[in-house]
Amino acid sequence: MNILRQLELEHMKATIPDFGVGDTVDVHYLIKEGDKERVQIFSGTVLSLQGGGTRRSCTVRRIVSGEGVERTFPLHSPRVADIQVKERGRIRRAKLYYLRDREGKATRLQRNLGKLQHPRSGKGSGIQATDTPSAE
Amino acid sequence: MTLGSQTIGILGKKLGMTQIFQEDGSCVPVTVVQAGPCKVLAVKMATAAEHPEGHRAASVNRGKKGGKTAKTRAGDGYYAVQLGFEEKPARLCSKPELGHAKKAGLESGMRLVREFRLKQAPTQKPGDEVTAALVSDWKHVDVTGTTKGRGWAGTIKRWNFGRQPSSHGNSVNHRTGGGLGRQQSISKGVPKGKHMAGHYGVEKVTVQRLQVVKVDTERNLVYLRGAVPGHNSGYVVLRKTVKNDRFVTAKTKK
Repeated sequence: MNILRQLELEHMKATIPDFGVGDTVDVHYLIKEGDKERVQIFSGTVLSLQGGGTRRSCTVRRIVSGEGVERTFPLHSPRVADIQVKERGRIRRAKLYYLRDREGKATRLQRNLGKLQHPRSGKGSGIQATDTPSAE
Repeated sequence: MTLGSQTIGILGKKLGMTQIFQEDGSCVPVTVVQAGPCKVLAVKMATAAEHPEGHRAASVNRGKKGGKTAKTRAGDGYYAVQLGFEEKPARLCSKPELGHAKKAGLESGMRLVREFRLKQAPTQKPGDEVTAALVSDWKHVDVTGTTKGRGWAGTIKRWNFGRQPSSHGNSVNHRTGGGLGRQQSISKGVPKGKHMAGHYGVEKVTVQRLQVVKVDTERNLVYLRGAVPGHNSGYVVLRKTVKNDRFVTAKTKK
Protein backbone atom coordinates (compact mmCIF):
# COMPACT_ATOMS: atom_id res chain seq x y z
CA MET A 1 0.00 0.00 0.00
CA ASN A 2 1.11 3.50 -0.68
CA ILE A 3 2.85 4.63 2.51
CA LEU A 4 1.12 7.99 2.54
CA ARG A 5 -2.28 6.34 2.27
CA GLN A 6 -1.24 4.07 5.12
CA LEU A 7 -0.27 7.06 7.26
CA GLU A 8 -3.55 8.77 6.48
CA LEU A 9 -5.45 5.71 7.60
CA GLU A 10 -3.69 5.93 10.92
CA HIS A 11 -4.84 9.48 11.40
CA MET A 12 -8.40 8.74 10.39
CA LYS A 13 -11.23 7.66 12.59
CA ALA A 14 -11.68 3.92 12.46
CA THR A 15 -15.29 4.25 11.45
CA ILE A 16 -17.44 7.01 10.06
CA PRO A 17 -21.20 6.72 10.46
CA ASP A 18 -22.84 5.40 7.34
CA PHE A 19 -24.70 8.26 5.77
CA GLY A 20 -24.92 9.74 2.34
CA VAL A 21 -25.94 12.72 0.32
CA GLY A 22 -29.62 13.51 0.75
CA ASP A 23 -29.86 12.21 4.28
CA THR A 24 -31.09 14.37 7.09
CA VAL A 25 -28.49 14.20 9.83
CA ASP A 26 -27.62 15.54 13.25
CA VAL A 27 -23.96 16.52 13.42
CA HIS A 28 -22.65 16.57 16.98
CA TYR A 29 -19.94 19.15 17.03
CA LEU A 30 -17.75 19.94 20.04
CA ILE A 31 -17.47 23.62 20.73
CA LYS A 32 -15.43 25.39 23.34
CA GLU A 33 -17.01 27.97 25.59
CA GLY A 34 -14.38 29.43 27.84
CA ASP A 35 -12.74 26.35 29.26
CA LYS A 36 -15.82 24.18 28.98
CA GLU A 37 -16.67 21.95 26.08
CA ARG A 38 -20.13 21.12 24.97
CA VAL A 39 -21.82 19.45 22.06
CA GLN A 40 -23.65 21.54 19.55
CA ILE A 41 -26.03 19.80 17.24
CA PHE A 42 -26.35 20.97 13.68
CA SER A 43 -29.14 19.20 11.87
CA GLY A 44 -29.88 19.49 8.21
CA THR A 45 -29.64 17.87 4.81
CA VAL A 46 -26.36 16.58 3.47
CA LEU A 47 -25.69 18.43 0.24
CA SER A 48 -22.37 16.91 -0.66
CA LEU A 49 -19.64 14.60 0.42
CA GLN A 50 -16.25 15.37 -0.90
CA GLY A 51 -12.56 14.67 -0.49
CA GLY A 52 -10.82 11.41 0.31
CA GLY A 53 -8.83 10.10 3.20
CA THR A 54 -8.42 12.52 6.09
CA ARG A 55 -9.79 15.31 3.93
CA ARG A 56 -13.27 13.79 3.59
CA SER A 57 -15.92 16.30 4.50
CA CYS A 58 -19.67 16.80 4.26
CA THR A 59 -21.71 19.91 3.67
CA VAL A 60 -24.92 20.15 5.66
CA ARG A 61 -27.65 22.65 4.89
CA ARG A 62 -30.48 23.76 7.10
CA ILE A 63 -32.88 26.67 7.25
CA VAL A 64 -32.43 28.93 10.28
CA SER A 65 -35.21 31.50 10.69
CA GLY A 66 -35.86 31.67 6.99
CA GLU A 67 -32.22 31.86 6.04
CA GLY A 68 -30.31 28.98 4.51
CA VAL A 69 -27.20 28.04 6.51
CA GLU A 70 -24.56 25.64 5.30
CA ARG A 71 -21.70 24.18 7.27
CA THR A 72 -18.93 21.95 6.10
CA PHE A 73 -17.60 19.40 8.56
CA PRO A 74 -14.31 17.55 8.16
CA LEU A 75 -15.46 14.05 9.01
CA HIS A 76 -12.19 12.98 10.59
CA SER A 77 -11.88 16.02 12.80
CA PRO A 78 -11.88 15.20 16.51
CA ARG A 79 -14.42 18.01 16.87
CA VAL A 80 -17.02 16.07 14.96
CA ALA A 81 -18.14 13.78 17.76
CA ASP A 82 -20.98 11.98 16.06
CA ILE A 83 -23.27 12.05 13.07
CA GLN A 84 -26.72 10.59 13.48
CA VAL A 85 -28.96 9.84 10.55
CA LYS A 86 -32.50 11.05 11.10
CA GLU A 87 -33.91 10.24 7.72
CA ARG A 88 -32.68 8.65 4.55
CA GLY A 89 -33.25 10.52 1.34
CA ARG A 90 -33.52 9.03 -2.11
CA ILE A 91 -31.48 11.06 -4.51
CA ARG A 92 -30.52 11.00 -8.15
CA ARG A 93 -27.38 13.09 -8.12
CA ALA A 94 -24.18 13.31 -6.11
CA LYS A 95 -24.41 16.97 -5.11
CA LEU A 96 -27.69 18.56 -4.12
CA TYR A 97 -26.73 22.14 -4.81
CA TYR A 98 -30.07 22.67 -6.55
CA LEU A 99 -31.67 22.76 -3.11
CA ARG A 100 -30.15 26.20 -2.62
CA ASP A 101 -32.53 27.60 -5.19
CA ARG A 102 -35.57 26.05 -3.60
CA GLU A 103 -37.74 27.03 -0.71
CA GLY A 104 -40.29 25.40 1.54
CA LYS A 105 -41.97 22.29 0.26
CA ALA A 106 -39.79 22.09 -2.82
CA THR A 107 -36.79 21.22 -0.67
CA ARG A 108 -38.30 17.92 0.39
CA LEU A 109 -36.55 14.82 -0.82
CA GLN A 110 -38.04 11.46 -1.46
CA ARG A 111 -37.62 9.34 1.60
CA ASN A 112 -35.84 6.08 1.46
CA LEU A 113 -37.42 3.85 4.04
CA GLY A 114 -35.74 0.75 2.77
CA LYS A 115 -32.37 -0.73 3.52
CA LEU A 116 -29.22 1.34 3.54
CA GLN A 117 -27.57 1.38 0.22
CA HIS A 118 -24.19 0.57 1.51
CA PRO A 119 -21.69 1.75 0.53
CA ARG A 120 -23.40 4.42 -1.40
CA SER A 121 -21.09 7.35 -1.16
CA GLY A 122 -17.93 5.76 -2.40
CA LYS A 123 -14.80 5.59 -0.34
CA GLY A 124 -14.71 7.24 3.02
CA SER A 125 -18.23 6.45 4.05
CA GLY A 126 -18.22 3.76 6.66
CA ILE A 127 -14.66 2.95 5.80
CA GLN A 128 -12.85 0.50 7.98
CA ALA A 129 -9.26 1.29 8.71
CA THR A 130 -7.50 -1.97 8.01
CA ASP A 131 -4.56 -1.22 10.22
CA THR A 132 -4.75 1.32 13.02
CA PRO A 133 -1.76 1.02 15.33
CA SER A 134 -1.60 3.62 18.06
CA ALA A 135 -3.11 6.53 16.19
CA GLU A 136 -2.76 9.36 18.63
CA MET B 1 35.52 31.70 12.57
CA THR B 2 34.78 28.09 11.97
CA LEU B 3 32.16 27.23 9.42
CA GLY B 4 29.51 24.73 10.31
CA SER B 5 26.86 24.17 12.93
CA GLN B 6 26.59 22.55 16.34
CA THR B 7 24.75 19.49 15.20
CA ILE B 8 24.52 17.37 12.10
CA GLY B 9 21.41 17.16 9.97
CA ILE B 10 19.76 14.20 8.39
CA LEU B 11 19.07 13.05 4.85
CA GLY B 12 15.64 12.02 3.73
CA LYS B 13 13.03 11.60 1.10
CA LYS B 14 9.85 13.57 0.63
CA LEU B 15 6.94 11.15 0.72
CA GLY B 16 4.18 13.64 0.06
CA MET B 17 1.67 15.89 1.70
CA THR B 18 -1.42 15.21 3.72
CA GLN B 19 -3.18 16.77 6.65
CA ILE B 20 -3.53 15.73 10.25
CA PHE B 21 -5.78 16.93 13.04
CA GLN B 22 -4.39 18.22 16.29
CA GLU B 23 -6.10 17.42 19.55
CA ASP B 24 -7.73 20.83 19.66
CA GLY B 25 -9.35 20.10 16.33
CA SER B 26 -7.14 22.31 14.22
CA CYS B 27 -6.05 20.84 10.97
CA VAL B 28 -2.40 21.00 10.00
CA PRO B 29 -1.11 20.61 6.45
CA VAL B 30 1.96 18.43 6.69
CA THR B 31 4.69 17.06 4.47
CA VAL B 32 5.82 13.60 5.48
CA VAL B 33 9.55 13.06 5.12
CA GLN B 34 11.26 9.73 5.42
CA ALA B 35 14.30 10.86 7.43
CA GLY B 36 16.94 8.21 7.64
CA PRO B 37 18.10 5.72 8.57
CA CYS B 38 21.39 7.19 7.42
CA LYS B 39 24.82 5.66 7.73
CA VAL B 40 27.89 7.63 8.67
CA LEU B 41 30.21 7.03 5.75
CA ALA B 42 33.11 9.11 6.98
CA VAL B 43 34.07 11.78 9.45
CA LYS B 44 36.33 14.69 8.66
CA MET B 45 38.73 15.96 11.30
CA ALA B 46 40.68 19.19 11.27
CA THR B 47 43.92 17.50 12.19
CA ALA B 48 45.09 13.97 11.63
CA ALA B 49 45.61 13.34 15.33
CA GLU B 50 41.90 13.63 15.99
CA HIS B 51 41.02 10.77 13.70
CA PRO B 52 40.25 7.49 15.40
CA GLU B 53 43.02 4.94 15.61
CA GLY B 54 43.60 2.95 12.46
CA HIS B 55 42.28 5.69 10.28
CA ARG B 56 45.47 7.64 10.17
CA ALA B 57 47.60 5.42 7.99
CA ALA B 58 46.82 5.57 4.34
CA SER B 59 48.81 3.80 1.74
CA VAL B 60 50.08 5.99 -1.04
CA ASN B 61 51.96 5.26 -4.20
CA ARG B 62 49.97 2.09 -4.62
CA GLY B 63 50.94 0.22 -7.74
CA LYS B 64 53.87 2.48 -8.38
CA LYS B 65 57.47 1.56 -8.33
CA GLY B 66 58.60 1.09 -4.80
CA GLY B 67 55.30 -0.44 -3.78
CA LYS B 68 53.08 0.51 -0.91
CA THR B 69 54.35 3.06 1.52
CA ALA B 70 52.55 3.76 4.72
CA LYS B 71 52.29 7.48 5.06
CA THR B 72 50.63 9.52 7.76
CA ARG B 73 47.28 10.76 6.59
CA ALA B 74 46.90 14.48 6.69
CA GLY B 75 44.04 16.12 8.54
CA ASP B 76 41.03 17.26 6.55
CA GLY B 77 41.24 20.84 7.73
CA TYR B 78 37.63 20.92 8.87
CA TYR B 79 35.09 18.99 10.92
CA ALA B 80 32.25 17.22 9.20
CA VAL B 81 30.17 14.10 9.18
CA GLN B 82 29.44 12.45 5.88
CA LEU B 83 26.08 10.69 5.77
CA GLY B 84 24.68 8.31 3.22
CA PHE B 85 21.00 7.63 2.67
CA GLU B 86 19.37 4.69 0.90
CA GLU B 87 21.62 1.85 0.05
CA LYS B 88 22.05 1.18 -3.61
CA PRO B 89 22.81 -2.18 -5.13
CA ALA B 90 26.50 -2.96 -5.31
CA ARG B 91 26.26 -3.53 -9.07
CA LEU B 92 25.37 0.15 -9.49
CA CYS B 93 28.29 1.37 -7.39
CA SER B 94 31.59 2.41 -8.81
CA LYS B 95 34.66 0.79 -7.32
CA PRO B 96 35.73 3.94 -5.49
CA GLU B 97 32.24 4.15 -4.02
CA LEU B 98 32.45 0.55 -2.82
CA GLY B 99 35.86 1.14 -1.34
CA HIS B 100 34.63 4.21 0.46
CA ALA B 101 31.63 2.35 1.84
CA LYS B 102 33.80 -0.54 2.91
CA LYS B 103 35.78 1.75 5.18
CA ALA B 104 32.55 2.43 7.04
CA GLY B 105 31.89 -1.29 7.21
CA LEU B 106 29.16 -1.29 4.59
CA GLU B 107 28.49 -3.73 1.79
CA SER B 108 27.59 -1.22 -0.87
CA GLY B 109 27.34 2.49 -1.52
CA MET B 110 24.56 4.93 -0.83
CA ARG B 111 22.34 6.79 -3.25
CA LEU B 112 22.51 10.16 -1.52
CA VAL B 113 25.73 11.27 0.16
CA ARG B 114 26.07 14.61 1.90
CA GLU B 115 28.45 16.17 4.38
CA PHE B 116 27.43 18.22 7.40
CA ARG B 117 30.04 20.75 8.49
CA LEU B 118 30.48 21.03 12.23
CA LYS B 119 32.07 23.58 14.52
CA GLN B 120 33.54 20.94 16.80
CA ALA B 121 34.91 17.44 16.38
CA PRO B 122 32.06 15.03 15.57
CA THR B 123 31.18 12.31 18.05
CA GLN B 124 29.95 9.96 15.36
CA LYS B 125 32.10 7.21 13.94
CA PRO B 126 32.01 5.73 10.45
CA GLY B 127 29.37 3.01 10.33
CA ASP B 128 27.13 4.65 12.92
CA GLU B 129 23.46 4.97 12.15
CA VAL B 130 21.60 8.28 12.27
CA THR B 131 17.83 8.03 12.57
CA ALA B 132 14.88 10.37 12.78
CA ALA B 133 15.30 10.36 16.56
CA LEU B 134 17.87 13.08 15.91
CA VAL B 135 15.06 15.43 14.91
CA SER B 136 12.72 14.53 17.76
CA ASP B 137 13.70 17.39 20.05
CA TRP B 138 14.01 19.99 17.32
CA LYS B 139 11.20 22.47 17.03
CA HIS B 140 11.99 23.74 13.57
CA VAL B 141 14.08 22.60 10.64
CA ASP B 142 15.48 24.01 7.44
CA VAL B 143 14.77 21.77 4.49
CA THR B 144 16.90 21.72 1.37
CA GLY B 145 15.56 20.09 -1.74
CA THR B 146 15.55 20.29 -5.51
CA THR B 147 12.52 22.07 -6.91
CA LYS B 148 10.26 20.62 -9.54
CA GLY B 149 11.40 21.28 -13.10
CA ARG B 150 9.26 23.67 -15.13
CA GLY B 151 11.27 23.48 -18.31
CA TRP B 152 11.56 26.64 -20.36
CA ALA B 153 9.25 29.07 -18.60
CA GLY B 154 8.10 32.54 -19.50
CA THR B 155 8.55 35.64 -17.37
CA ILE B 156 5.10 35.35 -15.79
CA LYS B 157 5.75 31.95 -14.27
CA ARG B 158 9.46 32.44 -13.70
CA TRP B 159 9.61 35.97 -12.31
CA ASN B 160 6.01 36.73 -11.36
CA PHE B 161 5.66 39.33 -14.08
CA GLY B 162 2.20 40.64 -14.80
CA ARG B 163 0.24 40.05 -17.94
CA GLN B 164 -0.32 42.66 -20.59
CA PRO B 165 -3.84 43.65 -21.64
CA SER B 166 -5.95 41.02 -23.33
CA SER B 167 -7.61 43.61 -25.53
CA HIS B 168 -7.58 47.37 -26.15
CA GLY B 169 -5.60 46.89 -29.28
CA ASN B 170 -2.96 44.60 -27.82
CA SER B 171 -1.64 42.36 -30.52
CA VAL B 172 0.13 39.09 -29.66
CA ASN B 173 1.89 40.66 -26.70
CA HIS B 174 -0.18 39.20 -23.90
CA ARG B 175 2.42 37.25 -22.01
CA THR B 176 5.63 38.78 -23.30
CA GLY B 177 8.18 40.25 -20.97
CA GLY B 178 7.82 43.83 -22.13
CA GLY B 179 10.63 46.34 -22.39
CA LEU B 180 14.17 45.58 -21.43
CA GLY B 181 14.93 48.94 -19.85
CA ARG B 182 17.46 51.64 -20.78
CA GLN B 183 16.37 54.43 -23.01
CA GLN B 184 19.16 56.68 -24.11
CA SER B 185 22.29 54.75 -23.34
CA ILE B 186 21.30 51.94 -25.65
CA SER B 187 24.91 51.25 -26.29
CA LYS B 188 25.13 49.73 -22.87
CA GLY B 189 22.80 46.98 -24.00
CA VAL B 190 20.45 44.96 -21.84
CA PRO B 191 21.05 45.42 -18.09
CA LYS B 192 22.90 42.61 -16.36
CA GLY B 193 20.58 40.24 -14.54
CA LYS B 194 17.51 41.36 -16.49
CA HIS B 195 14.68 38.94 -15.74
CA MET B 196 13.75 37.03 -18.86
CA ALA B 197 12.26 33.73 -19.89
CA GLY B 198 14.44 30.68 -19.51
CA HIS B 199 14.88 27.42 -17.74
CA TYR B 200 13.09 27.33 -14.42
CA GLY B 201 13.06 24.77 -11.63
CA VAL B 202 15.45 21.94 -10.73
CA GLU B 203 17.21 24.33 -8.40
CA LYS B 204 18.55 23.74 -4.94
CA VAL B 205 16.20 25.56 -2.61
CA THR B 206 16.12 25.76 1.17
CA VAL B 207 12.94 26.45 3.07
CA GLN B 208 13.76 27.84 6.47
CA ARG B 209 12.07 27.19 9.75
CA LEU B 210 9.48 24.56 9.05
CA GLN B 211 7.76 23.43 12.20
CA VAL B 212 8.28 19.81 13.23
CA VAL B 213 4.76 18.60 13.97
CA LYS B 214 5.51 15.01 14.81
CA VAL B 215 8.37 12.53 14.67
CA ASP B 216 7.78 8.83 14.22
CA THR B 217 11.05 7.34 15.44
CA GLU B 218 9.90 3.79 14.79
CA ARG B 219 9.54 4.30 11.07
CA ASN B 220 11.83 7.31 10.74
CA LEU B 221 9.13 9.66 9.61
CA VAL B 222 9.12 13.39 10.22
CA TYR B 223 5.96 15.45 9.82
CA LEU B 224 6.70 19.03 8.84
CA ARG B 225 4.18 21.79 8.72
CA GLY B 226 3.89 23.20 5.22
CA ALA B 227 5.50 22.42 1.91
CA VAL B 228 8.95 21.13 1.08
CA PRO B 229 10.74 21.78 -2.23
CA GLY B 230 10.62 19.15 -4.92
CA HIS B 231 8.46 16.31 -6.08
CA ASN B 232 7.37 13.36 -4.02
CA SER B 233 10.15 10.83 -3.41
CA GLY B 234 12.71 13.58 -4.07
CA TYR B 235 15.71 13.72 -1.77
CA VAL B 236 15.83 16.37 0.94
CA VAL B 237 18.25 17.45 3.64
CA LEU B 238 16.96 18.42 7.08
CA ARG B 239 19.01 20.70 9.29
CA LYS B 240 18.27 22.31 12.61
CA THR B 241 17.03 25.73 11.66
CA VAL B 242 19.42 28.65 11.66
CA LYS B 243 16.55 31.08 12.05
CA ASN B 244 15.09 29.77 15.26
CA ASP B 245 16.85 31.85 17.88
CA ARG B 246 16.27 35.16 16.22
CA PHE B 247 12.56 34.55 15.94
CA VAL B 248 12.22 33.34 19.49
CA THR B 249 14.00 36.35 20.99
CA ALA B 250 11.92 38.73 18.92
CA LYS B 251 8.80 37.12 20.29
CA THR B 252 9.84 37.04 23.92
CA LYS B 253 10.87 40.68 23.79
CA LYS B 254 7.29 41.53 22.98
